[in-house]
Amino acid sequence: MSLLESAETTRQFPPGSVFISGATRSLQHMSSSVRARDEELVAAAQRGNHQAFEELVERHKQKAFHIAFDFCRDREDAKDLSQEAFLKAFVNLKNFDGRSSFYTWFYRILVNLCLDYKRRLKRSPTDSFDETLETQMERSHEPNRPRSPDQQVLAGQISQKVDSALQALPAKQRTAFILKNHQGLSIREIAELMQTAEGTVKVHLHRAVTALRHSLAEFV
Amino acid sequence: MAGHDQLLSPCTDLEENLVLFHYGELPAPERFSLEQHLSGCVNCTGYLKDLSALLPLTIKSDEPPETFWMDYNRELRHKIASARDKKWWPVKFGAFFQPRLVTAFGAIAVIAVALTLTVGKGLWQSHELPGDDEALMEVLPVAENLEFFKTMDVLDNLDVLEFMASPGGAA
Repeated sequence: MSLLESAETTRQFPPGSVFISGATRSLQHMSSSVRARDEELVAAAQRGNHQAFEELVERHKQKAFHIAFDFCRDREDAKDLSQEAFLKAFVNLKNFDGRSSFYTWFYRILVNLCLDYKRRLKRSPTDSFDETLETQMERSHEPNRPRSPDQQVLAGQISQKVDSALQALPAKQRTAFILKNHQGLSIREIAELMQTAEGTVKVHLHRAVTALRHSLAEFV
Repeated sequence: MAGHDQLLSPCTDLEENLVLFHYGELPAPERFSLEQHLSGCVNCTGYLKDLSALLPLTIKSDEPPETFWMDYNRELRHKIASARDKKWWPVKFGAFFQPRLVTAFGAIAVIAVALTLTVGKGLWQSHELPGDDEALMEVLPVAENLEFFKTMDVLDNLDVLEFMASPGGAA
């Protein structure tokens, strides 16, 4: 049995299948009516309607948290980052001119905060990088399924290795990869969010996948 | 366990397309072409299999409990309320420094100064009767001039005085 199979996180997909993370958080499924509703709430919030902004928060908080978690892989940090993004959006809402969707504008704020967070961590590493295996096992992918001690240790090793591999990626490659692989955004959406060309996103994604494949080769 | 050295290398010029193919982002013509290639290329097929196995490993999900979200909402509301309170006084203070208001205030100030120095100058002068000291000050120059005028009288009559002083004038 390979390391991969014993880790209980294996999901085999046939070639060519579209991989979207378990919660199906892709905005591809968001209808135009939902986006229109976002714009109405933004307009109301810009006129001073605080409840409208609260509803925007309610709509986007889970996705914002999950994106932040994908970047920092820590619950408390993800909570702080996503809240900070909402706060920035609230303060700067008057500057939102509607040229992009609220979703794109807000998640751009969030991603930039996540990248700043990573840069700060690189300058002053904290204990969050020294998580014990037990801490990692507490945040397992499937907490309700019991694991043998060997599987728990293995899951911890894989998680540490993945963390290191993702940390080693340049910021833009990591961003493109997380938004595509974890959040299931389309190349077009990622390009809009990163304010770059679709071709550039494809290059970032390709390089990130190549690097990760080499870093995690031992788990194949 | 494959390890780094045992990874199958896909066809170099197709590697990016393979990644896009894995994510379902390859446009139709290229996808059809790649599918045909895959039917005969072990390396590229192996590469796709690696991606399907490895990439899900990079996802670390977290589904916090309901209590987390209740705390989340409460904390965020508090942060927003604090930001809202902080933003009032700078907004009011800063309202005076908007460019158009600064220009307007500047123009008003210039006009006020100009009016004060020109039209208003006479208006501001007092119309009250001069006090005693002021009357004295007005008279003094006149008084001083009296001596001068007296002197002038002597000079005017100087020829008469000389005539009177002469021997023929006295008689």
